[in-house]
Amino acid sequence: MKRNRIWLIPIILLMLCINVETAIAHANVPYHTYNYDYWEDIYYTPAAYVPNGNISGTKIDIGILNSPQDIFVGEDERVYIADTGNNRIVVLDKNMKLERIIDSFDNEGSLDTFKAPSGIYVTERNELYIADTDNLRVIALNEDGSLLKIISNPKSEVLANDFIFAPLKITVDYADRAYIIAKNMFQGIMAFDENGEFTGFTGTINVTITAYEKIWRKLSTKAQRERQIQFIPTEFTGVDISPDGFVYATNIDGGGEQSIRRLNPKGQDVIKKGRGGLSGDLTWRLAGHYSGASRIVDIVYRDNGIYSVVDKTRGRIFTYDHEGNLLYIFGGMGSQEGTFKNPVAIEEKGEEILVLDSYRGEILRFLPTQYGRLINEAVSLRFDGDEASAVNVWKQVLELDSNFELAYVGIGKSYLAAGDNKKAMEYLKLGMDREYYSIAYKRYRDDILKDNLSYILTGAMVLIVVLSLRSVINKKMGRRVVEDE
Amino acid sequence: MSKKEKLLYPFYVISHPFDGFYEVRHRGKGSVSLALLLIFLFGLSFSLNRRYAGFVVNLINPRHVDSRAEIIGIFLAVILFATANWSITCLMEGEGRFKDIITVIGYSMLPMVIVFVPATFISRFIASDEESIYYLIISLSIIYFVILLLIGIMVIHNFGFGKTLGTLLLTFVALLLIIFIILLLLSLINQVWLFLQSVYTELIMRG
Repeated sequence: MKRNRIWLIPIILLMLCINVETAIAHANVPYHTYNYDYWEDIYYTPAAYVPNGNISGTKIDIGILNSPQDIFVGEDERVYIADTGNNRIVVLDKNMKLERIIDSFDNEGSLDTFKAPSGIYVTERNELYIADTDNLRVIALNEDGSLLKIISNPKSEVLANDFIFAPLKITVDYADRAYIIAKNMFQGIMAFDENGEFTGFTGTINVTITAYEKIWRKLSTKAQRERQIQFIPTEFTGVDISPDGFVYATNIDGGGEQSIRRLNPKGQDVIKKGRGGLSGDLTWRLAGHYSGASRIVDIVYRDNGIYSVVDKTRGRIFTYDHEGNLLYIFGGMGSQEGTFKNPVAIEEKGEEILVLDSYRGEILRFLPTQYGRLINEAVSLRFDGDEASAVNVWKQVLELDSNFELAYVGIGKSYLAAGDNKKAMEYLKLGMDREYYSIAYKRYRDDILKDNLSYILTGAMVLIVVLSLRSVINKKMGRRVVEDE
Repeated sequence: MSKKEKLLYPFYVISHPFDGFYEVRHRGKGSVSLALLLIFLFGLSFSLNRRYAGFVVNLINPRHVDSRAEIIGIFLAVILFATANWSITCLMEGEGRFKDIITVIGYSMLPMVIVFVPATFISRFIASDEESIYYLIISLSIIYFVILLLIGIMVIHNFGFGKTLGTLLLTFVALLLIIFIILLLLSLINQVWLFLQSVYTELIMRG
């Protein structure tokens, strides 16, 4: 007995060790990480991103950030925070250490300040565009802090006379055209040319009225109609721009169908939609805590057609690829580290994702896991058209998450290209891609028919001979029977 | 009529619906148990089709296929329809008995029973641009079922075509009424049950 016990101790210790190991490997995150399969059912995935600490005002010794509304990460990985409540812009360097604070600038000889700056954008040349909301203007500063230009008080026939231009969010393209989301502006994103002249709207969202609402409006009296809610398009909430000049914008969609738009230079929405639409969660509770469709408040365009959006309702971050496929979901509401109270802005810094929480006055940092990294890599390879090298990455993704349909489709397509139709069929079926499965199946079926053509033809010949012989014999027999009678 | 003849009679009916259904009504050639068997077989083949149709044409989430629930559902639908139809035709001088209506529904389902299983088999060997063949045979069998049902109802009640359509419309109304009353009844029973439950809790709390 005693001897047995001595043997047990190391074994128990070993088991404890293994338990600890697996706990680390599963990366205990304070939120659910899931995705939607073909049938729009939820399945749980490994975490694609894990919390990696946070940056608050007190941590960098500049006092508490007072309801900051926007962050931006420049080309050189500097982080700019629009500290709205404190009327200042905080600039952090590459290593997230305080670099400088901008709270005033030289406006043609006099010192000028900000009033509730709530949007920020920095160009490649480090020109700083600040949506100075309560001063009703956008200020552009050079890298050294001198004034570049001011965009304010746009004049146009299409604007109402009493329209007050209060910019909220801003993005600037390679040709210095500014795209600005203004308060109470339902006609779209306001576009300004390089001289700060208003040129028009881009990405107008059309109002859709259902037949039911139309009938109801017809039936109601004028007095009733006036008291009904007006049908106005939704406002845009966040905006970003890709290097090739496409504006990515988000809006709130109560129906949960499309909250993300990709606008070409003509202002048309050219986004590609995946199976489930582009509005975060596909299913949600109708009442109670965290109910309703996702309210997408900001977007960040990442490399290779990937973009991430942040949802204010449930604090989730959804990432899509250039075809509108939902890649991974992470994040949640709460007060633990890595969860949000009121997320307002999202940015990418290197491989990190930064989310600004205005209630907490913190930037929350997220680092990709192996899982997230592999998906990013595979999607990037596919975006570049290098599907062959994507296959190996997809296989690694499947080892971590065997439900990831996009990976099956990727592998299946490459098998199809390589001519291995049977394997292609297997993978495309797992990836629920009917179109390509059908192509693979057709080729497979043709191959089988071709290989066995000789047997089939021989069989058919034999059958014909037998049948004709039988009818000949039958005729003769029949005649004999008749003769016999 | 021998057992074998009775078993094969549905095949005669689907090829000669007018004569066939007439003899079901007036010469006792139908069999309710055979009709029930056919309804069961239809439920089974329907379920098989949902579960095992080829990937290209199968748009049903396999997680939601429940053969038992589907077969029971089909039986309930048939009984509901038959009850509604019977109660309407009774008032409109229809000659058919309840068992005739059940027989008509069951025998009319034969084309679907025959077609669904082979169609499911075929569907596993087609590519996406050939799927119209599959949909064609499936929908043909359903159309055949509807025609047979119409003729059957017409013949067993000795109605004209217009009157049949009229009664079918009324049948639909009756169907809604029956469902409404059942729901009402269920909610009332629930109320009574809750009342009894609260009386019981009141009593034991006092005691």
